Amino acid sequence: MNFRRKLLLVFALTVFLSVAAVAWLVSTVTRRAFEQSNEAQTAALVGQFQRQFKQHADEVVRRVEAIAASEATTRIALALNRSTSEPGSFLNEAGPIAESQQLDFLEFVDAHGTIVSSAQSPAKFGYTETSLKDLPQLASKPAFLKKEELPSGTSLGLFAVRAVRVGDTPLYVIGGQRQDKNALAALELPAGMRASLYQVSGSGFSPQMFTAASETQEEEQQPRVMSQLVHWSENSADDETVHAIPLNGPDDKLLGILLVGTSRRPYVEVKRHIQSAAMLVGGIGILLTILLSGWAAARFTRPLEDLASAAREVAAGNLNSQVRVDSADEVGELGEAFNRMTRDLLEQKERLVQSERVAAWRELARRLAHELKNPLFPLQLTVENLLRGREQSPEIFDEIFRESSATLLAEIGNLKQIISRFSEFSRMPQPQLQPVIVNELLQGVARLFQAQLESREGGAIRCTLELGASQEPIAADGELLHRALSNLVLNAMDAMPRGGSLSLRTRDHGERVYIEIADTGVGLTPEECASLFTPYYTSKQHGTGLGLAIVQSVVSDHGGTITVRSQPGKGTSFLVELPRNLEKLHAPSLDGSVTVTQVH
Amino acid sequence: MKLSGWQWLAVSSVLLSGLAAAETRPQYGATLKTATSIAPLSLDPANKPDSIAQRNLTRLMFDTLVVLDDRGNLRPGLATSWQTAPGNQRWQLWLRRGVKFHDGSPLTAEAVAAALRAANPDWSVSAAADSVVLERNVPDLDLTASLARPQNAITKRGEGGTLIGTGPFHVTDWQAGKKLVLAANEDYWAGRPFLSTIEIELGKPSHDQLLALDLGKADFAEVAAEQSHRSQADGHRTMTSSPVQLMALLFTRERQSQEDGKLREALALSIDRDSIRSVVLQGAGEPSGGILPSWMSGYGFVFPSSQNLDRARELRSEVPRGPLLTLGYDAADPLARVIAERVVLNARDAGIRLQTATAGVTDLKLVQLTLSSLDARIALTATAMAAGLAGPKFSGTSVENLYQAENGLLQAQKLIPLFQLPVAYALSPSLKNWRQDRDGTVHLENVWLENKP
Repeated sequence: MNFRRKLLLVFALTVFLSVAAVAWLVSTVTRRAFEQSNEAQTAALVGQFQRQFKQHADEVVRRVEAIAASEATTRIALALNRSTSEPGSFLNEAGPIAESQQLDFLEFVDAHGTIVSSAQSPAKFGYTETSLKDLPQLASKPAFLKKEELPSGTSLGLFAVRAVRVGDTPLYVIGGQRQDKNALAALELPAGMRASLYQVSGSGFSPQMFTAASETQEEEQQPRVMSQLVHWSENSADDETVHAIPLNGPDDKLLGILLVGTSRRPYVEVKRHIQSAAMLVGGIGILLTILLSGWAAARFTRPLEDLASAAREVAAGNLNSQVRVDSADEVGELGEAFNRMTRDLLEQKERLVQSERVAAWRELARRLAHELKNPLFPLQLTVENLLRGREQSPEIFDEIFRESSATLLAEIGNLKQIISRFSEFSRMPQPQLQPVIVNELLQGVARLFQAQLESREGGAIRCTLELGASQEPIAADGELLHRALSNLVLNAMDAMPRGGSLSLRTRDHGERVYIEIADTGVGLTPEECASLFTPYYTSKQHGTGLGLAIVQSVVSDHGGTITVRSQPGKGTSFLVELPRNLEKLHAPSLDGSVTVTQVH
Repeated sequence: MKLSGWQWLAVSSVLLSGLAAAETRPQYGATLKTATSIAPLSLDPANKPDSIAQRNLTRLMFDTLVVLDDRGNLRPGLATSWQTAPGNQRWQLWLRRGVKFHDGSPLTAEAVAAALRAANPDWSVSAAADSVVLERNVPDLDLTASLARPQNAITKRGEGGTLIGTGPFHVTDWQAGKKLVLAANEDYWAGRPFLSTIEIELGKPSHDQLLALDLGKADFAEVAAEQSHRSQADGHRTMTSSPVQLMALLFTRERQSQEDGKLREALALSIDRDSIRSVVLQGAGEPSGGILPSWMSGYGFVFPSSQNLDRARELRSEVPRGPLLTLGYDAADPLARVIAERVVLNARDAGIRLQTATAGVTDLKLVQLTLSSLDARIALTATAMAAGLAGPKFSGTSVENLYQAENGLLQAQKLIPLFQLPVAYALSPSLKNWRQDRDGTVHLENVWLENKP
């Protein structure tokens, strides 16, 4: 990722995070404010409900007490006390009395807990009132919640118990009013709030959610309120925060739950406004970021890009590369330093070339002197021998002359050979690039030396080919490459006078091809390895020292490298690395013609 | 002339007996005012009047060929005699002579045949001089008894399409569902009724009728069975029939499985009929485990009607997952509500999940089925049909055959009998010669009112 993109990313990320942080902060503050308001409203509503509940309870107590004090109740109590009543005498007594006192529930229960008459369920006559455990105690208590079993189901009611005592045995009056939507109708509900009463049934709900058996009396009076967010639909504006206030009966059993629901629509709408504003601001910010980063990149990254480009040119060998310096800041200083560095490199290169050129001439002169001195010395001895023979032994001069002439010719031949080798080295041609399949080239080399390898006098050499799978060609001069590889094979053969193994390997690695020629011969010392490619250096008795120099020259002309690894006694391995350079096949040649090469 | 002590005693006895005779002597004329809780929209007997009140209304205007007496024996009606051919597939009934319809037209065999064909499309009825001949494809032992049923009353369309009959009274004012005024049929074949007019208010609840009776605005009133004791206690002259109305629980579906059968049996055993009778019905009626009342069948005690809660719980425990059943009842009937709720409580005691409901389709219903005939076989058949049960299978005419047929119906476990209830009437002191059959049929043609215009 380039600097410009990084800059854009950093700017965009900064803007995005900033806007998101602000939006989150505002949203959180809004939510907390909403929740606090919600809690306050719920608390007020619960307080209102509790006040009404108490008023309602007092009213039920008053009505039940009125019934207990009525003449009709006294008559029933008297009849029960005297045991003069017939079965079913009071079946329909409770109904009209309950109606007169506007009670939904009314039962007369005798001292044994047997229902004498029931308004809500007349058929209960004779049954024992089991829903209330201790009637004498409840007779002096305020009203309480109770679940009433009715033939068509259960109903929640606010009940009071009062006792009528005529004679020895009491008659209990249990009256109540239904706790339904009418009980909630009087609540003044703020906008967006609603209240409902949930009657806890025997199954399908867990009362343990709200109360525990170990709760203290104080905790009972202040019921624990729980809240839950309810999702009514996929639209979050329909969500509702529901507060649940448990309503317990006299035996501490959960009978009902007051549910106060608060719509989250106002909060969701505010939140959506905040989100919309944040997205708008964020979008504008990111747009500005793109423009700003573009300008900044143009301002700051272009000198760096020029510098990088110049560096690449230097790496490619163009030491004349310079960058334009327009500013005096750090980037400008960097440009100046780069220009200074390339100038220094150029000067050093020129100095190095001059010194190398001098050294090369000296080496050439030394080698020429050395090479030419060897044949000249026999020539000199032969000529001196001829002169001495003519003066001292004219009778055998002819014989001496023949022998000397032969020697002279032989040495002159040596001189000519030396000169032709130098001439050949100096005439190394530029490679004519064509598609060359390396595997086939190496196979050709192996075939060429097949016979010689197998019929060595000192011992046969076993040649193995380990070729890579790729058949993709490279751009190379097949003839030069063949000559170079042949040179390496010849060197290997010379290194194995008693036979051995010769391995020819190829492998591909992307745009480069590797050729390895390894032998199991005598090997080289590190010093020999260091001078191996120096022209005219040879470790052999009759070598010219130009073979490996030619090989290196060929490889170098193809843009490749050659390295050697060797250990004395363990053989030598030459590794040739060549670029494919296929693009050069399509490049226009220097003379302006275009070489179109069919790759097979 | 001086009379001796004995002579004075004889003269005094004659005079006293004359005075007594003068008090009990029927008085013609007078208008009887009454009311009924039913509010029929038609008086046509072809609508198969199923309640006792409707039956009583029908027989005021229309006659049948035969009638059943209080013991279920056939007696002549419009037919004076009849003959059954061997095989019980052909009957010939000779008509009473001199009978006239309310419009004065004579009762003919053709009119009788037409009326019977209209009421029974699957019968083959033909007129033969002064008799009618009935033929059926299959043997029918009960055909003559069924001719006594109100739906087989002889009717005819008079002028303007008005339905007329040969009964003791004819219609003078008919306001469907509201009021019916009848006048005495002067040419009634059994003799003119004592009453000149009968005014009947329709659709009036029982307690309103009693109020009208107390205020002297009615001469008799229907009394709900559970109110009959109170009516007597309040000083009303109360006449109660034999138990003739079956109150029962009727399942809306056939028995689904063996477990369902156990649940139904458990429900039947869980019901405390005695408590309901003594408290809710105030001692009226009788608990019943059978379809026919004991006074009719004679074997009603064979069918258990006592509560057996232990057995009910045992049966209930054999049903792993008892479903929630719903019991429907007539929401307008407070008695039905209390009984239904008590049944629910009893069922819950046995562990059966039962709940009342007054709307929608329910699993079972609290129903009241009226004994439609004094003939036990016909009554059983009609009750089974009214309850939607399969027709009883009689293999003979003996009591054993009747029991087997009734037992077969009960074994289907679609009906749980609860009570046999009577019908009762409260009479004003001026109403005389009240005659009431065991099935609640009232003979107003014999009634007369004392000292009333």
